Amino acid sequence: MRTIRLYPRLLGAHFRSLLEYEADFLILAAATVLMQVVNIVFLSALFAKVPVINGWTFWSVVTMFGAVALAEGVGSLFFDGMWNLAWQINRGELDYYLVRPYPVVLQSSSAAIGINGLSNIVTGGLMIGAGLAHSAIDWTPWRVALGVLLLISSVVIKVSINLGTNAACFWLSSPSPMFAFAMHQVGDLARFPLSIYPIALKAVLGVVLPFAFISFFPIASLLETGTSRWVGLLTPVIAAYCAGLAAFIFRRGLRRYESAGN
Amino acid sequence: MTGYRALARATARAALTYRFNLLLSLGAVLVQLVALLAVWRVILAQAPVNGFTWPQMRAYLLVAFAAGTVVSILGDFRMAFRILDGDVALDLVKPIDYQKARLAEALGGLWIEVILIGVVVGVTLAVTGGMDTPAGPALALFAASMLLLVPLKFLIVYVSTLACFWTQNFMGVQWARLAVVNLLSGALIPLVYLPHWLATAAQWSPFAGLTSTPALIFLERVDLGEGLTLVAVQLGWVLVLWFGARLVWRAALRRLTVNGG
Repeated sequence: MRTIRLYPRLLGAHFRSLLEYEADFLILAAATVLMQVVNIVFLSALFAKVPVINGWTFWSVVTMFGAVALAEGVGSLFFDGMWNLAWQINRGELDYYLVRPYPVVLQSSSAAIGINGLSNIVTGGLMIGAGLAHSAIDWTPWRVALGVLLLISSVVIKVSINLGTNAACFWLSSPSPMFAFAMHQVGDLARFPLSIYPIALKAVLGVVLPFAFISFFPIASLLETGTSRWVGLLTPVIAAYCAGLAAFIFRRGLRRYESAGN
Repeated sequence: MTGYRALARATARAALTYRFNLLLSLGAVLVQLVALLAVWRVILAQAPVNGFTWPQMRAYLLVAFAAGTVVSILGDFRMAFRILDGDVALDLVKPIDYQKARLAEALGGLWIEVILIGVVVGVTLAVTGGMDTPAGPALALFAASMLLLVPLKFLIVYVSTLACFWTQNFMGVQWARLAVVNLLSGALIPLVYLPHWLATAAQWSPFAGLTSTPALIFLERVDLGEGLTLVAVQLGWVLVLWFGARLVWRAALRRLTVNGG
């Protein structure tokens, strides 16, 4: 309980320091909104000529883009410190974390706040909302609950992948999170319907790095679109698996950690 | 001149030392290539859209990939951090021109990028089938356009990085630039697909020269006359930006405050 209560306070400290740089916040927010606007312009230009891609309409793809934006937004707003892990390992800064009575992984993930996450959460939420509003599904209480559960699971998967790939730095010993960032970019592939990709890529996005469970499978289930609707129901299971695996990788990595020796 | 050459060599050497990072940094452009290839393959399997057939779109996307990869081993992050940290003061005391020095660094990694482009284009063509190359004059014009793309892209990145003198933040500026360039250059989707007013604005902006111009020339979707006009626009923007950047730099230096030693 104390662990949970302290987390917002750790983040809050960074938030206050962030408020000192108002222009920074505005630039980052404007830039992330601009990125989503570009995505929407791109999608509407694409779908203006072709109404449906493998059963997916403009609005269902917008929902997928929104789910990715939402997951990334939560990742950067609440867990941005993970991206500093490589640097923290390289500089031996984990020494401080190790002696404090608080989980190392949470100290690391709260070491920064990505305020751009806020605008991503808002724009992602809007995209999901608009996408769902344009879909022809009946909203029963059970479907609403399913939707909420799937979205939470999708966010958990994204954060877990961030943690797992960043924790790889314990082995890679590079001072920058290049590996994690490259994997993050691979995730951009999963914003499009998985069915358009060759089998090898499907395997990568569905199994090895389950980015497809952040957007494609859960949205397919929720909107009843595409051919593999039931797979999305596995999203919470995949989320639990990813979270467990990421925690395991982090713990194994932490055991390898050997300070910087100054 | 030797000073600039040394800088160019240093960039290439640094890029080769951190080979793994170099490959990973290609990620974004490569992911976009793969995603768009897959999307268009499905769409164009049924019928051509806006006059683009699948082989044409594939060629377009490969040119876009090449254009996106060229001048990407750029020290724009390093330049930004040196401005933000104040280390730029050390660059100022060096007896070389700042803008030319950064250009030399950008050119230094070019040959590595060309090799990487060759590999990716080769693999893509091997997997998805061959490609038609344009006739002699168009090919020459395409080459000229690709050559102009190098200083053009450098200048756009350079000028936007100079914004660090005002903003104290680089990520936001860089993201905004990437988003705008991606859309208005035609890298994300050919400009003809955009609403007419936006396509026209993009066509005359400096960004079209970053993908659309060489790609359209390569596909011979514009005749030689139009192609020459587009390349002239590219050249015009290179000149405007080169001298414009000097003005920005002068204004930026007046803003510069470096604390401590």
